[in-house]
Order: sequence, then structure tokens, then C-alpha cells
Amino acid sequence: MGMEIAALMGLFGLSSVFALVGLVLAAWMAWRIVEKAGLPGWAGLGAILLTLTAVGTIVPLVLLWVFAFMRWPRDEPGRAALGYATAPAGAPGGRPTSPAALPPPPAALADRRAWRLTGSLPAGGNVALAIDGSASAYVLTGAPMSQAGELSVPDPSVGQPHARLLVAAGRLGLEDFGTPGGTLIDGARLLPEHGPRDISATRTIRLGSVELALSRA
Amino acid sequence: MSIFSAWIIGLGSLALLFFAIVHLLVALVLIIPTWRICTRAGFSGALSLFHLVPLIGSFIVMAVLAFSDWPNGEARR
Repeated sequence: MGMEIAALMGLFGLSSVFALVGLVLAAWMAWRIVEKAGLPGWAGLGAILLTLTAVGTIVPLVLLWVFAFMRWPRDEPGRAALGYATAPAGAPGGRPTSPAALPPPPAALADRRAWRLTGSLPAGGNVALAIDGSASAYVLTGAPMSQAGELSVPDPSVGQPHARLLVAAGRLGLEDFGTPGGTLIDGARLLPEHGPRDISATRTIRLGSVELALSRA
Repeated sequence: MSIFSAWIIGLGSLALLFFAIVHLLVALVLIIPTWRICTRAGFSGALSLFHLVPLIGSFIVMAVLAFSDWPNGEARR
């Protein structure tokens, strides 16, 4: 009889060790998940540790539902400007949606001269684009210019549209739309999920196979 | 086969069916919010179906969400 009780106690001990390891693991992972959504990590940790209390599993379950359907700070506007979270890019193929209202960059530049993008096309001919501060956003497209706010880079490797230039506080931003040609900033690839990136201090950008040098007018 | 073992088998399968249904219900309560979390993170919602795996399924989903880079972007840390 004593043996059996000892064996049973051992089983309880073993399973409680497993439960403890699982709880710590779950708490750690919940911390990380909640942090990625933009909430403080201790909220996820606390939700898991609540299972230890008398309210049992119901409250963490409710919290899971709340977490799934609440607004995440990650999606708040204003975070996208920092370049970490995604900015909603236009649907590939179609006309991109109007640019999200970005707050001005943290440090405005005093130099308000217009920007110039110049380069030569692989098929021959030159392209020179002037970006003054008259609009806050320009769409770079491989198609001929059809409306205001569009800048044409007539080359088959350039998407229609290809990317967006953003002007704010004397700075120039670039946002890729994810067309096959691709976009490079000083040789580094820009992806749609990077959102808008500051290219004020950039020498060259590449749209498809067209290399454009950036300068001030 | 004695009537006794027939009873045992009958009750056993009934209990098994009962457990399976309860497990499905509990998993569903977990799958619905997790489906939404997965899609918001940028994964396929079907990832949440791992909750159907007994014992370790929930850990798999949480591990994927916790240790991968979310395709839809993460909050700045």
C-alpha cells in the first residue's frame, strides 16, 4: 500500500513539474506575442499566471478573446511613420490607395530646395524628375504621365505604378509597391513591408533597371 | 462475449465520444480568437487549427506566434 501511495505521489510530482514548465513557457511566449501587438509584455504574462489563481482558466480565456478582437497599438497611425510597422501599400496591380496621413518626420530639415532625380534609361534617353514641395506625395510609374502627382520613368522594368515619393518637412521618403522590378536605395532593397523610408541622405535609388541619382535643385 | 464486457465497451465508446466532443468544443473556443490573431499577425488562420492537437497544440501555435517575425509587422520594441 505504501508503495502505491509513493508511486501516486511521484506521478503527481512529475505531472506538476510538467505543468510548471508548461506554465513558465506559456507565460514567456505570451509576453512575446503581446509585445509584438504593441501591448506591454507583463499583460500577457499576467494573463497566463492568472491560471494559478482561483478564477482558474475562465479569465485568461476571456482575455484571449479580448486580445484577439481589441485594437492593437501596433496598428495605430503614427507608428507606421517610424518605419517599423507596415504601412498599408496599395493593392498590387491596381492603383495604390491614397497615401496614409503621416505625421511629419521628427526632425525637419531647413533646406527646402526642390529634389531632382536624374538618370539614363537602358533603352536610351534620359529621365529627369523634379520634386518640389507643392504636393506631399508623388507616384512613380512606368506608364506615361496621365495625371498630376505622377512621375513617369518610361521603362518596361518599372511597375505601373512602381513606388511613391513622400515629401514632408524638407525630407524625401520612398515607399515601394512591390512590383517585380524591385526598388533599391543605395543598393539596399526596399520592400513594401518596410513602409516609407527616408531617402533625404541617399545618393541613388534604383527602380527596376533604371538607376536614378538624387540631388537638390 | 459476456453481457458485462459488452456493457464496458459500450460505455467506453460513449465516454470516448463524449471526450472527443468536449475536446472539439474547447478547441473551438480557443481556435476562434487564435484564428483572428494569426491572420492579424499575417499568418494563415489555419495555423490556429493546431489547437486540435491534444496537450501540445496550443504550445505550437504560441511558439510560432512568439518566435517568428510577423509578416504584417510588429510593434516597435
